[in-house]
Amino acid sequence: MTMRRAKRILHVAGNDLRIMVGDKAFFFWTLAFPIFFIVMFGLLYKSGENAPAVAELTVVNLDEGRWGGYFVEKIKAPNLTIKTADAEPAEYSRLLVLPADFSARIEARRDQALAFKKRSGASVKAAARVETRLYQSIARVISELVLYGEGDLTKFLDGHPEFRDIVRVESRFPEKTVTVVPSGFDHSIPGTTIQFIMMMVIIYGGVTVLEDRKKGVLARMLFSPLSTADVFQAKLLGRWSLGFLQALMLIVVGKIFFGLNLGSLPLALLVIAVFALAMAALSVFIGSLCTKEDMIIGLAVLLANMFAGLGGCWWPNEIVPPAVRRVAMISPAHWAMDALHKLRFFQGGFADILPNLGVLLALSVVLAVVAGRAFKIRD
Amino acid sequence: MLEIRNLTKSYGDILALDRFSLDLGKGEVLGLLGPNGAGKTTLISILAGTLADFSGTVTFQGRNLFADRALKNRLGIVPQDMAFYDELSAMDNLLFWGGLYDVPRAELKRRAAELLERVELAGRAKEPVKKFSGGMKRRLNTAIGLLHHPDLLLLDEPTVGIDVQAKVSILDIIRNAGASGTAVIFTTHQLAEVETTCSRIAIMDHGRILAQGTLDELVRIVGERDIVEITGEFAAGPFSEALQDIAGDGIELLSVADNLASLAVAATEQIPRIMDRLFRRKLAVTDLKIKSPNLETVFLKLTGRSLRD
Repeated sequence: MTMRRAKRILHVAGNDLRIMVGDKAFFFWTLAFPIFFIVMFGLLYKSGENAPAVAELTVVNLDEGRWGGYFVEKIKAPNLTIKTADAEPAEYSRLLVLPADFSARIEARRDQALAFKKRSGASVKAAARVETRLYQSIARVISELVLYGEGDLTKFLDGHPEFRDIVRVESRFPEKTVTVVPSGFDHSIPGTTIQFIMMMVIIYGGVTVLEDRKKGVLARMLFSPLSTADVFQAKLLGRWSLGFLQALMLIVVGKIFFGLNLGSLPLALLVIAVFALAMAALSVFIGSLCTKEDMIIGLAVLLANMFAGLGGCWWPNEIVPPAVRRVAMISPAHWAMDALHKLRFFQGGFADILPNLGVLLALSVVLAVVAGRAFKIRD
Repeated sequence: MLEIRNLTKSYGDILALDRFSLDLGKGEVLGLLGPNGAGKTTLISILAGTLADFSGTVTFQGRNLFADRALKNRLGIVPQDMAFYDELSAMDNLLFWGGLYDVPRAELKRRAAELLERVELAGRAKEPVKKFSGGMKRRLNTAIGLLHHPDLLLLDEPTVGIDVQAKVSILDIIRNAGASGTAVIFTTHQLAEVETTCSRIAIMDHGRILAQGTLDELVRIVGERDIVEITGEFAAGPFSEALQDIAGDGIELLSVADNLASLAVAATEQIPRIMDRLFRRKLAVTDLKIKSPNLETVFLKLTGRSLRD
């Protein structure tokens, strides 16, 4: 492609974008209305709170020996604040009680039960974190007892501090486990973005293709050095820019006002860009096929809502039955939303979303070929 | 500058252009006259590159017009449709359409401002075009075709449905374009427009040029005869039958339709003979006009119908 030709294509695409954005209803339909959806679905799927950064644990150490203090030392961790109390306090979030015979039972190698309490209303996730820490500490103490045998462990460790903490017990979640529960907005913003890219690109993109054809604007472009293929590419590019611009606006608003986290922003933008390309091609196809504006709007609303519902824009598709998930694969939105969920909720990377990108890219190519064949300069 | 040879285009069984040939030189303004369906718009569409599946050749500045897309930079086309963006201002429309040609941006801006002055839209250059009247839109439509200083300008009925002021402005633009060396082909229904604007006139019908030349050359086709235009309450058939036996004897029936007929007569003395035949057949005549031959007469003679048909 020559520089001049590329410049002409960009010139037409830029003008299309300018006209679509210049529509007085544009910001309502592409920003204000989607934000309403974002808030609605965001609040609907609001997560419980995430665990606080530092969890609090109140310990009542009634132990009469040395092991109680030793065990409390083992519990200490950077993300844990330990408060000590002589008796069970009236106010606490989480409480661990070490009984008076705690050391005696250890030394006698007898099992024992520890009371761990959680105040109703306190963070379940923080409780889980503390509980995990307790299991780690118990495991370490037991391991040390096994390692050093029957001797006086305390004395041994006093003389050999380099052996202290020789046992490390780590706990982690299986790979791809959802560890941080995303906010409802982390789902509703991408979902709404995908839904409104479909709706707006098909409506604005399709209607303007139809109008340009009916007014003779497309034919007039051919009076210039532009070819039909150039005009088609320009139309595709203009509509792709519209979809991508809309996504950028919603992402910026989402970041500023709703603390949106997409996982990897560049990869999320890549998914949205490829999805917008497929929708751009679909809009040119529909605009070339339809002869009335109402037909395009009706078709756009129908397709966008159908694909959005099926594709997981309104609710996470992870919660729907497997059969529905299989059917959802016919929706282009499914491939985009699935990729965005992989990035955000399952810490996915490029390799994880590659199949989704492949499907969306293949869909874009197929739709572009079909749209190219249907594209006409005059009715 | 432009050589069209044997251009033929069909729409199914209908032959829109029938071995159409034409030559046009630099600075020539050719008025292409023809009734609806004569093939004028088909010709312009083929030259503009928006119609395919035709035969024949078109050479422009020595090169095949359809083989070299860069030649489009030298071609200006004003379509019949108001083909521009209503949402944009007149200036923005000019900058957009001009931007499709290889015109430097600064030159384009200068040229757009100059054209807006010339079509008397400078005062409303920044208003959205959707607020313009039909005449203003038509002037803008014309200005868009001139932005890149084309060597050949094609205008497809540029004065349809507009007021006198806009028409005068557009015809001025066409004359000026010709005077500055641009070759112009301009199709119209309006005889008066081509009489006052064009250096050459071509009359076409059924996809072919029937006659072409200057106004004087075309009028000579009818000869030094008077034209009698008869209006009345009669049908075409009985009217023709009534004059059947005297036709050819210095009287030529140029065209006849219900209620209106045109005849060329060698001398006005023959008019009583004509009236006598009509009265005998009880054909009511309500008006009779005697005219000198003009382009309309030529058109009637050549096509057998008026431009209104």
